[in-house]
Amino acid sequence: MPTASFKDGLLGEIKNLRAFAISLSGSVSLADDLVQEALLRAWSNSEKFQPGTSLRAWLFTILRNIYYSNYRKRAREVQDSDGFYARRLTVPGDQESHLDLEDFRRALTRLPAEQREVLTLIGASGLSYEEAAVICEVGIGTIKSRLSRARSKLAELLALDNASGAPAERKVRRAG
Amino acid sequence: MNGTRKNANAAPDLAAPDPKALEAIGRALEAHYADLVQAPLPEKFVELLARLEAGDRASEPQGSGDANG
Repeated sequence: MPTASFKDGLLGEIKNLRAFAISLSGSVSLADDLVQEALLRAWSNSEKFQPGTSLRAWLFTILRNIYYSNYRKRAREVQDSDGFYARRLTVPGDQESHLDLEDFRRALTRLPAEQREVLTLIGASGLSYEEAAVICEVGIGTIKSRLSRARSKLAELLALDNASGAPAERKVRRAG
Repeated sequence: MNGTRKNANAAPDLAAPDPKALEAIGRALEAHYADLVQAPLPEKFVELLARLEAGDRASEPQGSGDANG
């Protein structure tokens, strides 16, 4: 029987786990199924968690395994009709380098899952290269190269690949 | 385990797009994730854990398989 503190640990990680799941699957409803399954699996395998190690990384590993073994195909079908939350938020930045969150999310879904997950793990969930390498079952070098490719691809998709780092001009100043 | 974990968020020296583009991507990624983390959590997860703790499992987890230690 898992301890109360294990349960509290899980409770504390659900939001992060869900954010990772949404980022990975590109779908809120798929993500919720994933989180539910991951929590069940974590609960029944609680004795395998080593105290003192990162619970977040452990949970992400579980969720990721479920995703790749059961959900990846479904994700393709669902994505279009049921994507991220639609948000018209502008990402803060200096005036010439702001990005629209929805544009960003659309670009994110166009990355290969292997790149998207690395980007999410390192760039957003606060995990280390080492932890990401363990989660993804690859070496640190692979993590770094996926990260680099992910960033380049995003820059390309978002038309950021010009000198200013701003989205392409055509979009900003169409009304002339 | 090694005790050194550098959490340097400093500019990565990867062969990459230009620094401004990287910065914009980094910010967008953080905003994307923060927005998800801040989203209200469906009740069902808290309820699920409460049920698990109470011992009556709603669905039987498949305990077989691929665990590596």
